[in-house]
Amino acid sequence: MKSWFSGTPATGPTTSQEPPPQGGASRVALLRMASREAAMLEGQVNFLKPELLQADSLVQEAAGTLEQALRTLDQRVQHQHQLAKEVQKAMVITLDGAQDSSGFDSISSSIGGTLDGFVTAILEISKSSVQLVGEIEDIRGRSERMEGMLGELSEIAGRTHLLSLNASIEAAHARRFGAGFAVVAGEVSKLADRSTALSSTIQEQISGTRQALERTDAHVQGIASKDMNVALQSKANSEALMQALEASNLRVKDLVGQIEVNARSIAEQVGHVVRSLQFEDLVHQTLTACLKEVGNLMEQAQAWRAFEAALAAEEPEAQAMDALESILSQIEASRVQFRAVKSGSLDAGDVDLF
Amino acid sequence: MSPCILTVDDSSTMRQMISFTLKSANFEVVEAGDGVEALEVAPGKKLALIITDVNMPRMDGLTLVHRLRALPEFKFTPILVLTTESDASMKQKGKEAGATGWIVKPFSPEKLLEVVNKVI
Repeated sequence: MKSWFSGTPATGPTTSQEPPPQGGASRVALLRMASREAAMLEGQVNFLKPELLQADSLVQEAAGTLEQALRTLDQRVQHQHQLAKEVQKAMVITLDGAQDSSGFDSISSSIGGTLDGFVTAILEISKSSVQLVGEIEDIRGRSERMEGMLGELSEIAGRTHLLSLNASIEAAHARRFGAGFAVVAGEVSKLADRSTALSSTIQEQISGTRQALERTDAHVQGIASKDMNVALQSKANSEALMQALEASNLRVKDLVGQIEVNARSIAEQVGHVVRSLQFEDLVHQTLTACLKEVGNLMEQAQAWRAFEAALAAEEPEAQAMDALESILSQIEASRVQFRAVKSGSLDAGDVDLF
Repeated sequence: MSPCILTVDDSSTMRQMISFTLKSANFEVVEAGDGVEALEVAPGKKLALIITDVNMPRMDGLTLVHRLRALPEFKFTPILVLTTESDASMKQKGKEAGATGWIVKPFSPEKLLEVVNKVI
């Protein structure tokens, strides 16, 4: 059996649990033991207290840094979320006069329809141009035939003129009897001259018309051949552009979706951080409880010092021991029965609604 | 206008975490470091909810609940106790004091918001 008087060094507050034996021990041995016990407890207090205070301070400082980082992270996530919303909003285009805003898909479809209508109209114009070329060709043929007729008309005019000349000669041979006939022959000659002049004028007009037709024909043939190719090429280019834009649109949608997924994941991680940071408070409470226990150790040391002083002052041993036991019992009764982190895990606690 | 919630805790970290969680859900938050400060801050705030710790200096959370319930302004205001205490006897004391619910620390933000939205 372990003897309280054997001089065995104290091993901390548990030693004080053992009641001092009554009688039989020398005062010197008791004094030595009290001194050792007090010194041991003081040593433990001097070691534990600064360590616990430093641990508390470090945890608080670390928690403060984490809190700040968490707030910054949250602000960044909010900003990222806002940017994703802005991108989504930018992808919605409102056409002038439209009642509702449309997404890029419907705008793309609308532009495609407009282009189709444009190309169809161009093709119709081209088709009409081809018909116009035919009409111009017909007019050219008619002009050529008219020119042929004018040639005949000139020949008739020439013959008429010759005929009037002969008639004038015959009228001169007939002298007095041919006077009236000479007048008629003169008028016929004048008509023939006018007919020749008119034919020449018509010939000039028809020639001008033919030149105008040639120019019109060149323009119309240009429209008929070139515009169709340009329109088809433009349509092909536009379709390629729209496909590229649609691909880009899908890529943007995909990226926005990825940003949202990331934001949700970060929000979940932020939740873990919020829960973990609360352990700063729980650790603080635990350390506070430990510091209170260190205070108890200090009180025990003071009790042993008082016991030592009482023995040194030659007070009765029994009285000094009673006083020591009384103080140690009070300390034991006030010992903290508290554990801040009861579960020993990082899981969230229970919820009860009354 | 966002509902206003008073959070009472002697730990600034806990107040920050509760405030962070509630503000992220667009609640307005008022803070107090203990029961005494809470009784100074609360009147006239039109609080939708009060969340209080138990172990605090000057005035503990259960006393605060008692005192608040005695005030006509907070007779029917939901009060949640958020504490490390998880003993059934302590919960019973909280219920008798007039608390609406009991949440054991640490809380998960998701769960806290779920409970808050349920009681207000």
